[in-house]
Amino acid sequence: MALVTRFDTPASLRDLPPGSAFYDDWHTHIANRLGASTPGSGGGEFYDASETDVNIVGARDLVWMAFPRRVLMPNRDDRGAAFTAAENRNVQDEYCEWFTTRNAAGKIVRVTFVTEAPEYWEALWAVDRARVVALYRALVSPAVVETDLHVGGVYQRANLWNNANGIVHLRQAINTLNAALGLAQGSANSAPARDNYEMSAVASTAVDPRVTYDVGTLVRKGLSVTLRDPIGLYIAGWDDTGWTRPSGAPVGNYWTIVRGVPGQVLRLDYEVPAAVGFVVGDIRIGGRPIQWGGQLAEHVTVTIGGVAGGRAR
Amino acid sequence: MKAKAARKSPAKKSNPGKPLHFALDSKLLDAPLTTALDLLGKVQVKLPKDILISILGGDPAAELPGAEPEPVYGAKARANVQGNIIPGFNKDHQTFLFFRVGNVRRAKAWLRWIAPFITSTEEVLAFVRIYRALRARLGVRNPPLCSTWVNIGFSHRAIALLAGAADAAAFGDQSFRQGLATRSTYLGDPTDAALPGHRRHWLVGGPKNEADILVIVAADDEQHLVATADAIKTRAAAAGMKLLFEQRGDNLPGALRGHEHFGFKDGISQPGVRGKVSTAPGDYITPRYIDHTDARAKMFAKPGQLLLWPGQFLLGERRQHPEDLVASAPPATNFPRWAALGSYLVCRRLRQDVPAFWKFAIAAGAALGLPPVQVASILVGRWPSGAPISRSPASDNAALAGDEWANNHFIFDDETRPSQLRPIPGYGGDGFTQARADVLATVCPHFAHIRKSNPRDVATDLGKPHDSMLRMILRRGIPFGPPIAGVRHPPRDLKRRERGLMFVSYGATIEDQFEFLTRRWANSPLQPNTGGHDPVIGQADRSGNRQRFVDFPTTTGTQRIVIDCEWVTPTGGGYFFSPPIEAIAGVLGA
Repeated sequence: MALVTRFDTPASLRDLPPGSAFYDDWHTHIANRLGASTPGSGGGEFYDASETDVNIVGARDLVWMAFPRRVLMPNRDDRGAAFTAAENRNVQDEYCEWFTTRNAAGKIVRVTFVTEAPEYWEALWAVDRARVVALYRALVSPAVVETDLHVGGVYQRANLWNNANGIVHLRQAINTLNAALGLAQGSANSAPARDNYEMSAVASTAVDPRVTYDVGTLVRKGLSVTLRDPIGLYIAGWDDTGWTRPSGAPVGNYWTIVRGVPGQVLRLDYEVPAAVGFVVGDIRIGGRPIQWGGQLAEHVTVTIGGVAGGRAR
Repeated sequence: MKAKAARKSPAKKSNPGKPLHFALDSKLLDAPLTTALDLLGKVQVKLPKDILISILGGDPAAELPGAEPEPVYGAKARANVQGNIIPGFNKDHQTFLFFRVGNVRRAKAWLRWIAPFITSTEEVLAFVRIYRALRARLGVRNPPLCSTWVNIGFSHRAIALLAGAADAAAFGDQSFRQGLATRSTYLGDPTDAALPGHRRHWLVGGPKNEADILVIVAADDEQHLVATADAIKTRAAAAGMKLLFEQRGDNLPGALRGHEHFGFKDGISQPGVRGKVSTAPGDYITPRYIDHTDARAKMFAKPGQLLLWPGQFLLGERRQHPEDLVASAPPATNFPRWAALGSYLVCRRLRQDVPAFWKFAIAAGAALGLPPVQVASILVGRWPSGAPISRSPASDNAALAGDEWANNHFIFDDETRPSQLRPIPGYGGDGFTQARADVLATVCPHFAHIRKSNPRDVATDLGKPHDSMLRMILRRGIPFGPPIAGVRHPPRDLKRRERGLMFVSYGATIEDQFEFLTRRWANSPLQPNTGGHDPVIGQADRSGNRQRFVDFPTTTGTQRIVIDCEWVTPTGGGYFFSPPIEAIAGVLGA
């Protein structure tokens, strides 16, 4: 595979004109966080695809559940308690966060999922504040003004419109692209193990062991591993099988990809069109009324793409 | 594009990038189907000979120094757990009786009558030990020892009727409270009422014919089975209970004994339940074969058989720790106190279209340049004999299939290392080629039935393999209907006869075990790992679209094959609770 000459933006977003210096800045941002090679215990490595060329032998999308496992496990005998707790974005730590919008009657009318990294928005802010404000207005509310988004010129990840009033990108403390890159790279040099049963303890999330084990096992084979460009955290899938309208009939397709493209979805809305005559809160999943956004998150998956290959040593 | 199915020679090669579809109604498939079905009757399993297994009192050498103590199930507890949960009936002949309660008072009287007939763990374990002792003493594989056993399960409605609404509401598993019919489409069953698998057409368990009570009768002798089932039915009728449906199940005959109707050995991989029969050293419910010098003795009973804490299957017992492969976690408490030592029972009557499955394998084989049996085995993950393709990728292996210390010993992501076994008199050891690392899933694909339902060492959408252990179930199914596999020229009326599997599983939750395995893994092309749907039991129903696919490994990458038809159709079942035996007369019948 040829060298990556410029790391692209997640889902190849073009929020600024193609000639903007922003795209070079983004490449630099990614490249600066990747070591040329992070060697692993089994002779393999995690490598920077902009510096090293590797013959790819396999690609793999690492998929995990959007709902936080760290909330689910302590509440495995009380799903309602898990769903209630998980409405707080501080605990949505699987690199996917959601925002639940309710109507005056308290019924859910929309659930918005995002996997967009805060670093992207900070980079965009550094280049074109007006564009950031315009995007916020389009995604959340026309009421957004620039002063809502910064303090002393410093962009605020957990600003009003990406917290209490809406959602634009990840804002939970460890949901950052830098953390994801660190996780993937760090997984290369995890403690020596002959198989996954011998792996030392890792976090109780779904995503950490997902990445650690998958990267670790490839590196053990002597393979060179990296993330597939455009590097990003994406919504992989959503499964509404067995979801029913108030009539009992299957739901229609009420999902809308707002940012990203199929296969590289960054922002996803679930909302019933007004003409249909009911709202999300009227839908049942396997016979259970939707009361929390987390009920949808259980059926949403997140992914990061990886490739593995070999190079002459 | 529609690929012509079953071209004679040369086989059509795959066309990377374009999904393949097959028209399975082609007459060209009839002749190769006859051959394939005939070959299934010739499946060989070579069983190791002259092996003597210590069966009484345990073996002190099986104790692991420093291991967390496992619960001891004394005679009282063993007599209270229904025997099909642990260790399982495993009888050749079974009858499933689905009843509807009429008069509650008379139903309670019937429960008090049937309670003494309910077979316990104690009785089944005793039988197994005597059976093995006889086998060793007489030197025959099937010693002349017979028994007839009965177990029982109750729906949520039945518990509300018999024990009261408050007790019924105290069952924490919401899926159990809802019932199978309500959860049907969530499991991927058809939403289109015109399709045969829609719950409206179910023989039992549909919205209008849900059963309150399921009685399972199991016997070695068919006459004993019939006599016992008849007695139960007669007394039930006298108690005003309506028999909604009755299903006979039988293990397949001859060489296909223990196989399901597609022709594949079933039930090889079952979790081992931790716990001891007595305080005697080494007297475990699940025999331990791995030597303490091998670190895997802490988590495996025998090679490939993971040990799980009993609370994964019995309410109120210590269960598996979500973050630790060997440690226990506190028990669940979300159930009425009298339900402790009971288990949730899932029953699904699954119709199997054997010709459709094999026609697909034939058509795919022709397109991929592979023998049909190899394609079918890759779909399953095992050869018809039960030999895992991970250990024998190119061809079936009868000796490997018959070696219970080898046929389940493999992992997927890394090289499988030989296990250090304790001495087993007469056993020469696992000399078969060990499974190679298959991290890219080119040998046993991610979609393969056994890799979907038991990812073993592989990370999943829920993270580490520790979580996968929380999903495991005890499977106790049995085929129904006359076999067609192994019949060289099946007459038309035999082809038309209905056949399938009475799927039965036990677990401490329905939602996080059976439903999780079905919906999240078997039915998903992305979970636990990307690569397609489980082609054997997986279903899809996205806005009525029931198309599935598999990304089949080839020498040049993967070839997507679209599955436009179904060969497993749900036709009935129910969610039940198998209570502790004391509660049958003492609570539900009181």
